[in-house]
Amino acid sequence: MDDTAKKIIEILKKNMKEPSDDIGLATPLADLDIESLDLAVIVFDIEDTFGIEIPYNANEEVEDFATVGSVVDKVKSIIAETSSATA
Amino acid sequence: MTTKNGRRRVVVTGHGVVTPVGNDVPTFWSALKQGKCGIGQIQSFPTNELYITIAGEVKDFEPKERLPSKQFHYADRYSQFAGAAAKEAVEQSGMTTPLADEESYRAASIIGSGIGGLTTLELSYKALFQDHKRATHPLTLLKSIGSSAAAHVSIEYGIKGPCFGVVSACSTATHAIGLVYRMIREGLIDLGLAGASEASLAYGSTRAWQAMRVLSPDAILPFSKNRNGTVLAEGGGVMMLEELEHAKARGANILAELVGYGMTADAADMVNPSIDGASTAMQMALEDAGLSPGDIDYLNAHGTATTVNDVNETRAIKRVFGKAANDISISSTKSMHGHCLGGGGGIEASATIMAMKENIAPPTIGLDEPDPECDLDYTPKVGKAREITYAMSNSFAFGGLNAVLLFGPDPS
Repeated sequence: MDDTAKKIIEILKKNMKEPSDDIGLATPLADLDIESLDLAVIVFDIEDTFGIEIPYNANEEVEDFATVGSVVDKVKSIIAETSSATA
Repeated sequence: MTTKNGRRRVVVTGHGVVTPVGNDVPTFWSALKQGKCGIGQIQSFPTNELYITIAGEVKDFEPKERLPSKQFHYADRYSQFAGAAAKEAVEQSGMTTPLADEESYRAASIIGSGIGGLTTLELSYKALFQDHKRATHPLTLLKSIGSSAAAHVSIEYGIKGPCFGVVSACSTATHAIGLVYRMIREGLIDLGLAGASEASLAYGSTRAWQAMRVLSPDAILPFSKNRNGTVLAEGGGVMMLEELEHAKARGANILAELVGYGMTADAADMVNPSIDGASTAMQMALEDAGLSPGDIDYLNAHGTATTVNDVNETRAIKRVFGKAANDISISSTKSMHGHCLGGGGGIEASATIMAMKENIAPPTIGLDEPDPECDLDYTPKVGKAREITYAMSNSFAFGGLNAVLLFGPDPS
């Protein structure tokens, strides 16, 4: 697991009531007992950590937030977009 | 009938609004009937670093024209909205003001706000921390406090009885109106101005809302399959409430009777509403009025266009009204004026009174394709002419704070 994934899992754990140690890329977010307001806080934390903006709307079901791995992929793609836009 | 089941009756003798679709009741109501939308690109501050760039802004509001008293000229915009709405309500009521001494202590000014003079605070902090100004404006504190609108209104009209602000986020105005209703009913006062206003559209507060991820970047579409969040707005609504005999004695024109009020708290979650809380508040209002579900003709829904509210509210309505739910004309006028937060309930109560007066249910605009889980009659796209004798107005707020008003015809 790379650095980005590790940092994102740390952020998820920080915002969980009972953080578990067996969170992997395949873990669905739905299994982590994360509610909509938690997700807004998690997205904020990720944005702050990586210096990016994530277009997330709590009113929409988004595939990017299905599993831990899909969040990691989304963050990586935004980081790549952001750095190419500023390059 | 002076009293109903031995209790004092409360009537509406005036109402006033400031909204994104009109800065007085006639303009506002005409816009609602026409299905006009007051949402647009934000003009009052730069939005280039935001992805939420739309809101329902109040346009062409000239405080010095609407409010001749100097005290309002230095007030926060939220107090100015309340002042303008109160002025319209007082003028319509025909009440002689400032109130005479013996009456002044039997009158209330309960004007709330979700957050008070937030824009004043935001700009003061900007001046202090960003522009490194030496001091903030001397009126910063008086402008920002959440009780300043109530105080300004009491000063304007010589109201010397209960005077304070009420705070319950998006249920604020409804709680304020309900509170004055109960004070009159229980004999504490004979009349009162009640409502709320909000003017919190500013860069920092929009960023804060944006971070909650509940706003739509493009439109407010209550009950629609395509809804993707609410749209912030500003404005205010204030009513003149009076004890029935008091109104009759001075020959006032009675617009409606406030026949029922219900309030509950979900005691569950800050953002996810419960069916129990919402339905019990509606049930309480019905019981307070001694009415049956089949008596209600029009319901002004809270209808915020968030995924959770609209489904929850629909389920709550069905639980309370059963089969009769299908015969009620429901609408979310937020589709036109946006989510005026604390002020919303006052504005929507005005829409409800006008719906009764003209027997027209205003529409829910933009409702091309309803959510399959929202399957009631939300008066899609165009208003509907129908007999409206009793009408309900719902307000449900963050924190699970629910308040419901129920209006009926002039009893005299």
